[in-house]
Amino acid sequence: MVRRLLVVFVLLLIAALGVTAYAQDAAPSVTVTADGQVVIGLAAALSGEGLAPFGEDIQRGAELALEDRPTVTVGGIEFPVSLDPQDDQCSAEGGQAIANRFVSDASVVAIVGPMCSSACRAAAPILDEAGYSSVSPSCTAPDLSTSEFSSFNRAVVSDAFQGRVAAQFIFDVLGLTSIATIHDGSAYGEGLVNVVTASFEALGGSVVAADAVNVGDTDFRGLLEDIVAAEPELIYFGGFAAEGARLVQQLKNDVDGGEIVFMGADGIKGGEFPGLAGADAEGVYTSSSIPSDANKEAVDALLARYTEKYGIEPTGPFQVNSYDATNMILDAIEAVGVVTDGTLTVDRAALSEYLRSIEGFEGLTGTLNCDGTGECSAADIGIDIYAADGSLSTVAVGSPGDDNSIVVTASEG
Amino acid sequence: MASTASQPATTSGGDGVSLAQRIIKLLRNPLQVAGLVIVIFLVWTIIQNLTGLAAAGRPLSVERIIRVIIFGLAQGSIYALIALGYTLVYGILSMINFAHSEVFMSGAYIGFFAIHWAEQSGLLYSNTALALLITVTVGMAAAVTIAVLLERIAYRPLRGAPRLVPLITAIGASIALQQIFLRLFGSATRVYPEVNFYVLPQLFRLECETIDGAEICKGMDLINGRYDVQLLGMELQLRPIFFVVFFLAVLMMAILWYIVRRTKIGKAMRAVAEDRKTASLMGINVDRVIVSTFILGAALAGAAGVLFALYNTQVSPFMGFTPGIKAFTAAVIGGIGNIPGAMFGGLFLGVTESLAPTLLGMSSQLEDVIVFGLLILVLIFRPTGIFGEVLSEKKA
Amino acid sequence: MSLLEVHDIHTFYGKIHALKGISIKVEQGQIVTLIGSNGAGKSTTLNTICGITPAAEGKILLDGQDITRVPAHQIVTRGVIQSPEGRKIFMRLTVRENLEMGAFTRNDKAEIARDMDFVFTRLPRLKERIWQLGGTLSGGEQQMLAIGRALMARPRILLLDEPSMGLAPLLVEEIFNIIKGINEQGVTILLVEQNALMALEIANQGYVLQSGEVKLADDADKLLDNDEVRKLYLGEV
Ligand SMILES: Nc1ncnc2c1ncn2[C@@H]1O[C@H](COP(=O)(O)OP(=O)(O)OP(=O)(O)O)[C@@H](O)[C@H]1O
Ligand SMILES: [Mg+2]
Repeated sequence: MVRRLLVVFVLLLIAALGVTAYAQDAAPSVTVTADGQVVIGLAAALSGEGLAPFGEDIQRGAELALEDRPTVTVGGIEFPVSLDPQDDQCSAEGGQAIANRFVSDASVVAIVGPMCSSACRAAAPILDEAGYSSVSPSCTAPDLSTSEFSSFNRAVVSDAFQGRVAAQFIFDVLGLTSIATIHDGSAYGEGLVNVVTASFEALGGSVVAADAVNVGDTDFRGLLEDIVAAEPELIYFGGFAAEGARLVQQLKNDVDGGEIVFMGADGIKGGEFPGLAGADAEGVYTSSSIPSDANKEAVDALLARYTEKYGIEPTGPFQVNSYDATNMILDAIEAVGVVTDGTLTVDRAALSEYLRSIEGFEGLTGTLNCDGTGECSAADIGIDIYAADGSLSTVAVGSPGDDNSIVVTASEG
Repeated sequence: MASTASQPATTSGGDGVSLAQRIIKLLRNPLQVAGLVIVIFLVWTIIQNLTGLAAAGRPLSVERIIRVIIFGLAQGSIYALIALGYTLVYGILSMINFAHSEVFMSGAYIGFFAIHWAEQSGLLYSNTALALLITVTVGMAAAVTIAVLLERIAYRPLRGAPRLVPLITAIGASIALQQIFLRLFGSATRVYPEVNFYVLPQLFRLECETIDGAEICKGMDLINGRYDVQLLGMELQLRPIFFVVFFLAVLMMAILWYIVRRTKIGKAMRAVAEDRKTASLMGINVDRVIVSTFILGAALAGAAGVLFALYNTQVSPFMGFTPGIKAFTAAVIGGIGNIPGAMFGGLFLGVTESLAPTLLGMSSQLEDVIVFGLLILVLIFRPTGIFGEVLSEKKA
Repeated sequence: MSLLEVHDIHTFYGKIHALKGISIKVEQGQIVTLIGSNGAGKSTTLNTICGITPAAEGKILLDGQDITRVPAHQIVTRGVIQSPEGRKIFMRLTVRENLEMGAFTRNDKAEIARDMDFVFTRLPRLKERIWQLGGTLSGGEQQMLAIGRALMARPRILLLDEPSMGLAPLLVEEIFNIIKGINEQGVTILLVEQNALMALEIANQGYVLQSGEVKLADDADKLLDNDEVRKLYLGEV
C-alpha cells in the first residue's frame, strides 16, 4: 500500500515537473485563431471570511468592462474576450498556486489581479519567469513596485502614498500625536502600517504600541487591553473588514477604549465593514484612492449598472480599479497584437513593455501613467468617516504636492 | 471516551522513586530537556516583561489580568464545547472528525436565520428570552442534522476502512460543507443583531427611568450590557455575557457528564467506545450509539456556535476553521477521547491564548505560536495529553 | 423441537473457510459442550449464532424460528446471549455498569434489580466490588462478571466461550460449579471449552469440532469413554 502510494506520488511529481518544464518553454507569444477567444485571467479572493465580497467585486468590475468591450479589434478583425476567474485566497500560497496555473495555460494573455498584496508578491516571480503580465486593481503594498518584478503593474495607488496621507491626516488634521498600530500580518496590512509608522514618527508623532493579529482569530480583547494600557489617542489598523470590525466592536464594548479613535484604510472601506461593525462603525476613519472628480458621473453610472446587474450594492472600492485594469490590458492587446492569416499573435514581451509604459490612459479612476516600475495610478486619497448608519462622508483629500510632498486638505463642513 | 481520571497503576514512578531519581530520568530524555528549557525560558520572559513594565511605570495591573482571564474563560468555554465533540467521536470511533468545525459553523449560521427572523418579526424585542431560546434550539438542531448526515453519508460506509480513509474523508467533508454553505447562502458575512436581554430588574437596579414618580428599572443586560463592578477593592468593567457563556458552557458540560455517566445510552457509549463487538453481543445497537454520540457532540457545538455568534456577531461559512483547530488542539492537550480532558483543555487554551501575550509582552500575532507551542510542550511531557491515559495495546 | 438448531452452517473470514457445515442441536434445559483443538471453529460457531460473523450458508433456528439473518444486537432480545472468549468485560465500566450492560435490552427496572440480586447471590464476590472498575478485578472475578453480565439478559440460552481460560484449578472448579448451578435454575447452556474433561462431565451432549467440521457428536458420557477423544482431548496416552 505504502509503496503504491509512493509510486503515485513520484508519478505526480514527475507530472508536475513536466508541466513546469512545459510552462517554462511556453511560447513567448500567445496566438488566438480566428474562431478562438482572447482569455484574460482574473485572480481574486473568491473564498474566505470577509474577503470573498472584495474578490467578487473585482470580478464584477472586470465583467462590466468586458460587457462594454466584449471584443478586441486587431487588424480589423474582432476577437471575443473571455475571463478566467480563479481564487487567489488572498494569500501567498494562493497567489503562487494561481500563478502556476496561469503560466501553465498558454492561452491566458494577461491577468487582472491578484487581489491581495501577499498573493501579488508570491505570484510575481512566477509570472516574471514566464513573461506574463498582470495588472492588479488592489495590491497596494509599497514594496511591490520596488522589487523589480517585470510582470507587476497596478491600477491603484501604492500604500506608500496612502500611508503618508493617513499619517499626515492624523497629525495635522486630527491633531493627534500618539497612536497605536495593529496589522493583520498580510503584506497589505503590514506594509501600510510600516508606512504610517515611519511617516507619523517623521512628522513628530509617537507610536506607543504596535501589535498584530491573525486573520481568522476572533478574540482580540486581550490585545486591546494591552493597547489601551499604552494610552494611544488613535489606533491605526492595516487589514480587512472581518478583523477590523471585531477590533472596533471589542474596543468599544469589551475594553475601556471608547475614547480612542479607530482608523483603517481601503481594507475596511465600504461594503462589509459597516454591516459587520454595526453601530460601532460610527466615527471610524477609512481612506482609499478616489476617482478624480472629472469622472464622477461615469463612475456613478458604472456603480448603478453594477447594482442593477448583480442585485446588490458594490462592496469595496476596487470594482472601478478592476474596470480600469481590464481596459488597460485590452488596450495593450489591441496595440501590440498582430494578425496574420486571421490569427492573432500577442507577443508577451511587447505586451509587458506596452503596459509598463502606458501614458495618459483615461480610466475611471483618473489618468493613469505607468512609470516603468509597475506604478500606474496617481489618484488622490480620500479620507472618510463612518456615520452611525454606516454611510461615509469625506473629511479630507490627500494629493501629491511639489517635491514629493503631500497636501492634505480637510473638507469644509 | 475514557471515563475517570483514576487509572489502574500503569504509570511508572511510584512513591518509592526519589525526587533525584525522577530528575535523572527526566534529564535522560533530550526532548524533555528541551521542553524544560522552554518552560524556564518562558518563566524568565514573563519575569523580564513584568519587571520591565513596572520599571517603565506601567505595571501590569491585577484588574487587567483578571479581565483578560475572563475574556479567555469565555473564549475557552467555546473551545471546550467544540472540543467535546472531537473527543466524543474520537473516543467511540478512534477517528478525528475534522468536519466538526463546520458543524459548529452550521449552528451559528442557521441560528442566524432564526434570530434574524425574530428580529424582523419583533419577537426579539417583545419576548427576548423566547427568541434566544428559539435561536439556540434552531442552531443546535441544524448542527445535529449536519452531523447525523455526515455520519450517515461520509463515515458509516467507511467504518471498516483503514484509519487514514475516514480521516481524509472528514477533511473533504469539511471543505464540502464550507462550499455548500457558500453556494447556498453566499460569501457575505452575516451579523447577529444586537440583543439586549434584561433580567432581574428587582435585583439589579440598572437603566432606571422615573415614570410618574415610580422608578422603573430594566435590570441587567446579560448580552450587551457592560457594568462597573467593585470586587475586592478593584474597579472592574465587565460584560455579563462572558459569565453567561462560561456558566452555560459549564452547565452543558455537566449535563453531558450526567448523560455519559448515568444514563443508559451514556453507559452504552462507553461500552461501545471500549469494545464494539462485545457491546453488540450485549444487544447494544452500535450504529445507534454512534449516531447518538455525533448528536451529543453536535448539540454542544451548535449551542457553542450560537453563543459565540451572540457576542462575536460575525458568521460566515469559513468561521469554523480557526475555532475548530483551536478546539481540536484543546482536545489533544486534554487527552483526546477524554471528556474532562476536553473541558479542561478548552478552558486552559482559551485562558492561555488570552493571557500569554499580555504576560510575555509578545505580539498577539504569536498567540497561535503559543497555542501550538503549548501543545508540543504538553505532548513532550505527557504524550497522551494531560488527562489522557496510557493507551492500552488494544487501542493503540 | 430443540431449543437451538444449527443446520449445516458455513462461515467465512474473507477467503478463510472457517466453518464447513456445522450442525448442532441444543435441547431445552441441557448443557451442550463444544470441544476441539485451537482453531477448530468453536468461537466462530458461537459468533455465527450471535450474528457477529453471519453464516454464508445454512440455517439457525431458535425455537423453530429462523434467526440466521437477525443482526447481532437483536439476537439478545430473542433470548440468546454470549459470554465471549477472553471475558471481554468492559474494563472502564464499574461492576454494576457491566451488569447493567448485560440487561441493556430490558426495560423492566424492578425485574432487573431482582436479577442483579440473584447474580449477587450466585456470585457473591461481585457484590463486594460493585463500584470497582472492571479493569481492576482479578481474572477469576472478571470471569464471574462476564457470566453475571450475560445472566442479566435473562437468556433462554447462554453461550459460554472458554470460561475456565487462564484460571487457577481451584477457580476452574468454582466456575464449573457456578455453570452447573445456573443450568439447574433452568438456563440452557452451550459451553465451549478447552478443558474437555470437566466440560464433558457436566454436559449432557458433546460435539467434537475439528477444522470447521463436526468430527464426533454424542452423549457427553459416551464421549468421555471414546478412545479417540480420550487420546486427543483428554491428554491420555
Ligand atoms: N477474525 C478472523 N479473521 C480471520 N480468520 C479468523 C478470524 N477469527 C478466526 N479465524 C480463523 O478461523 C478459524 C476458526 O477460529 P476460531 O476462533 O473459531 O477457533 P476456536 O476453535 O475458537 O479456537 P481457540 O480454541 O483457539 O479459541 C481459525 O483457523 C482462525 O484462524
Ligand atoms: Mg475460540
